[in-house]
Amino acid sequence: MSNDRIVFRDVSKFYGEVLGVNKVNLEVASGLTGLVGPNGSGKSTLMHLMTGLLRPSRGEVSVLGVSPDSPEELFRLVGYCTQYDNFPNGSTGLSFLRFALALHGFSKNEADERAWAALARVDLTDAANRRIAGYSKGMRQRIKLAHAQCHDPQVLVLDEPLNGLDPMGRAEMIDLFTDLAKEGRHVIVSSHILHEVDVISDGVIMIHGGAIVAEGEIREVRGEITSHPIQVLVRCDRPHVVASRLFDLEHIVEVRIVEDEGLLVSTRDASDFFNKFNRIVIDTGVIVETVAPADESVHAVYDYLIGDGLGGGSA
Amino acid sequence: MTAPGTLLRRRQVFTLAKHEVLRSLFSRRSLAVYLLVGMPLALMLLRAFFMPGSMRADASHATTEFAEVFHFFLLRFVVFFANAMIFVRLFRGEILEKSLHYTLLAPLPRTVLVLGKYLGGVSSASLILVTTTILTYILVYIPHGSAGLRLLLSGSGIANLASYLLIAVLACFAYGALFMLAGLFFKNPMVPAILFLGWETLTPFLPTFLKVLSFVHYLVSFAPVPVSLGAFALLARPVSWWIALLALFTSSALLVFVASRVARNLEVTYSAD
Repeated sequence: MSNDRIVFRDVSKFYGEVLGVNKVNLEVASGLTGLVGPNGSGKSTLMHLMTGLLRPSRGEVSVLGVSPDSPEELFRLVGYCTQYDNFPNGSTGLSFLRFALALHGFSKNEADERAWAALARVDLTDAANRRIAGYSKGMRQRIKLAHAQCHDPQVLVLDEPLNGLDPMGRAEMIDLFTDLAKEGRHVIVSSHILHEVDVISDGVIMIHGGAIVAEGEIREVRGEITSHPIQVLVRCDRPHVVASRLFDLEHIVEVRIVEDEGLLVSTRDASDFFNKFNRIVIDTGVIVETVAPADESVHAVYDYLIGDGLGGGSA
Repeated sequence: MTAPGTLLRRRQVFTLAKHEVLRSLFSRRSLAVYLLVGMPLALMLLRAFFMPGSMRADASHATTEFAEVFHFFLLRFVVFFANAMIFVRLFRGEILEKSLHYTLLAPLPRTVLVLGKYLGGVSSASLILVTTTILTYILVYIPHGSAGLRLLLSGSGIANLASYLLIAVLACFAYGALFMLAGLFFKNPMVPAILFLGWETLTPFLPTFLKVLSFVHYLVSFAPVPVSLGAFALLARPVSWWIALLALFTSSALLVFVASRVARNLEVTYSAD
């Protein structure tokens, strides 16, 4: 299996009779990948399988060439921030991280240094010696993030990591994830808040009912959804002139003039639209301010694939 | 830099054991264990307080009295249940607290995880039960005044105490391994624990070929003072100390080995637990 990717080969997980995930085939490259799906869709199951907290009923998983059956190798590479909001009884932020780092085999001094550095990264230095039981929801989320990254892993698996954070905290964490991804690490972030995933992810994995319904860069995924015309927003000085010319094109499904927004064009052939649109601009002499895809967001793609209940048509 | 090979494993086992000792000795849940081990101490204090003057003068019965207290109350009840409470919690407690995943996310083989937790359990259970046994022993002799004190500090008094302490520690190894495994297997391990207690209680009345399947049969072979087990007990030839040691350590090692195999397939599904 690939040594630079997270690979799922025909992986299924059943909880007794209940399906967790079904026949998942995935390859996740480095960078920031968003894992999107409604509650109960199998996001956490997928993350648990990646980190060996669950074993596949069928198929195999490897993380940078390492099987989750070898925890001593796997967890040098992987840090996992789970969705569980529980901590060992009586732990303080500092003792919690020290214990984790001691299990990694770091000497007392190095464990201390790393623990303090991880606490500083999530802005919990002042609360280091307070019991986690007394932390706010946001602080507990941050100490989990510190735990996941304190040993400097190559792969970070983060289950709903922005839950409970205030807007400032969210922005800081998003910057941190982006920086980690830029360093060439694999950062996998699950979220049901589509806007968040849209803003931070290089790629996206969409899961629904335990099956992967789409995978890849958002633009690629959107391009392969042929059942929904692609929407393009055009801002120009004479929208009605452009609209009348666009209706001559065969693949145009709808043209709408949206007040204060511009022209919303629905087309079944985006590349031909852009070619012909250039000609229209030259011919009519309209002044164009913007031409931008209007539905190449995770939200739109998610809506098309899952919101409509399509649930299939893997991209 | 992380430590290499064997040093790393040793460090991981030590870290886990230390963590378990702290959890077993100082968590809120340890209160139940302290209440349990406080029972023989309270009883001995009451005995000391209400002991008639005629009995105080005669210390000769103290040795037999402690032997009976140890056999019927300390070993078969206090030591048994204290071990059950401490060792069942090693895994089941963390599953119920939903915090086991933090340990499972560490780069350590599951065998090391099981061994570290087990040794932590043995250390804390031994510490608690050795202290309890010493205090109970002292409380049996003290009410007899200077005669009791002389008996307590005599060569045989100290040797007897050492034998009882050895039994308590060996019980921690053996029962500990069993209850740790039960904690991995059963959602409510106290039910099999009570069934096993029934089996251990019945041991004196069982034929020899069944006696060998109980821990208490081997543990009592280290007892310095024999006690009467009643008219219906079936007498068996006493087990020699080295066979008893071998049987206890072999069965403990086997149970820990099985526990580490079970732990290899351990999954985190808190909602199902």
